[in-house]
Amino acid sequence: MPNKPSPRFATALAVEAYKLRRSLALLLAAVAPLLIAVFMFFNLVRMKRPVPWELALEIPVSIWAFFMLPMCVTALTALVAHTEHGSRSWDYLRALPLPRWHLYAAKALCVVGVVAAMSVLTTLFSVFAVQLAGWWKPAVAVTGTPDFAGHALLLARVFAASWLLVAVQLWIALRYASFVPALATGIGGTFFAVVATSAKAGIVLPWQIPVNQMATDPARADLALVLGCVGGLLAFALMLWRLGRREVLA
Amino acid sequence: MPAAIETLDLTRRFGERTAVDRVSMTVPERSIYGFLGRNGAGKTTTIKLLLGLLKPDAGFARIAGIDVAADRIGAARKIGALLEAQGFYAHLTGRENLALACRLLDLPGTEVDRVLEVAEMSAHGRRRVADYSLGMRQRLGLARAMLGAPPVLVLDEPTNGLDPEGIADMRRFLRELPTRTGATVLLSSHLLDEIERTATHIGILSDGRLVLEGALAELKAGLAGEVAIGTDAPERAAALAREHGFDVSHHDDELIARFAPQEDVRNAAAALNRVLCTAGVRVHALAPRQRSLETLYRQSAPAALA
Repeated sequence: MPNKPSPRFATALAVEAYKLRRSLALLLAAVAPLLIAVFMFFNLVRMKRPVPWELALEIPVSIWAFFMLPMCVTALTALVAHTEHGSRSWDYLRALPLPRWHLYAAKALCVVGVVAAMSVLTTLFSVFAVQLAGWWKPAVAVTGTPDFAGHALLLARVFAASWLLVAVQLWIALRYASFVPALATGIGGTFFAVVATSAKAGIVLPWQIPVNQMATDPARADLALVLGCVGGLLAFALMLWRLGRREVLA
Repeated sequence: MPAAIETLDLTRRFGERTAVDRVSMTVPERSIYGFLGRNGAGKTTTIKLLLGLLKPDAGFARIAGIDVAADRIGAARKIGALLEAQGFYAHLTGRENLALACRLLDLPGTEVDRVLEVAEMSAHGRRRVADYSLGMRQRLGLARAMLGAPPVLVLDEPTNGLDPEGIADMRRFLRELPTRTGATVLLSSHLLDEIERTATHIGILSDGRLVLEGALAELKAGLAGEVAIGTDAPERAAALAREHGFDVSHHDDELIARFAPQEDVRNAAAALNRVLCTAGVRVHALAPRQRSLETLYRQSAPAALA
């Protein structure tokens, strides 16, 4: 293999995306938004009066940001990391003639991409569920005009605010071959985020930062967005640096 | 012959323990180098140093002339590895696994067909790796190591976990590798028989140190001749033989006489027989022992057999 050009990051990214084929991670990406939509459908049909579009769009985002997102990120990062831990591929991958940070950055981008796709699917499935409920029981058909632009902005903010959460969970999942540290951290973080929803300190808790985008105080939401987004980028950079230099001994 | 792999004073410590201790090894081009040592002798650590997975505390390693520490990526382009851990994605097919490696190595897709054919795996490429037997996974690992036809192949315990038929099959395959691919093969194992049947050169590692290295045939030719003495009175026979200047020792309940390398075994055995019979010791067998890798191993790494 003489005089090869420098390895391209796009190649590592494409390979990482290909690994998702027929994987449990991809199944999770479809199932979690579907569960929210199923809940939305049954929640609406049990009602006696119609709800406005504004509320019908807000409920799924709240469920997503409050509970489903931190739990899904925990499971998703563990599954993606386990693709290599489970098959004991790290030695092979790390011995390849390409910069090691490519491997980790490709994984991080794939996870972020899947989370973005799940965010979109949550809305799409929920809108479908809302329409289906209205067709099934016309008395609860949603009223008013949907503000899809505003909803998309809120969804984008929740997504960007989740980067610190993704970085923390992915780092732990990649660092430890066992599922336990990543799952324990994710479940523990989500537990505290749920039981202490209105805690002031929640704004710095990675598992609670996304739901802070729905705070009534815009300043709090903005600060949470900066912490989640910029903190996430910094954590990703630190993760790439540390994991790229690390010697895997076992 | 120029060296495909060369290390000088390669050292790696884990805390207080020195896993690889000033190892200076030379693997000639197009050779099959049997890298021997018991479990824990430092073989896998040495291989990880060659692959750039670990950093040495001292010394250096060169692959095809490229310093691994200075240019890991350049050295990695010259080497294909089958590591003990197999590293395949079980939910993908063998062909898909190879295609992923191919992309990461920036190789054309036709490489997949080539290596599948060399590894005699063409018929199984479209099956999911989860459905493969261990032998098939090992072959797939070999196929992956051969992607891009690297000049050096490092195979860590390639027969581990295989059944006897699979081992024989793998041995035949490994013997043919340099001819088929033109590559130099570093074959790590703790099985003497496997190395003896496959390797052209050997390096023996004991407690992190390289205690013997060279062409297997030359090393065996330089071995002292040995005969196993069958007698009813081994203690007396040993004492008598030693009195007459013979080098005699006990190994696994056997009394072994070792002669000087240049000495004719037949003449020496006759002289020994005469000494024992004259003294009235009943000798019922004097069996010449083959000059084997086991003898070489026993002499150079005695601790390993303890």
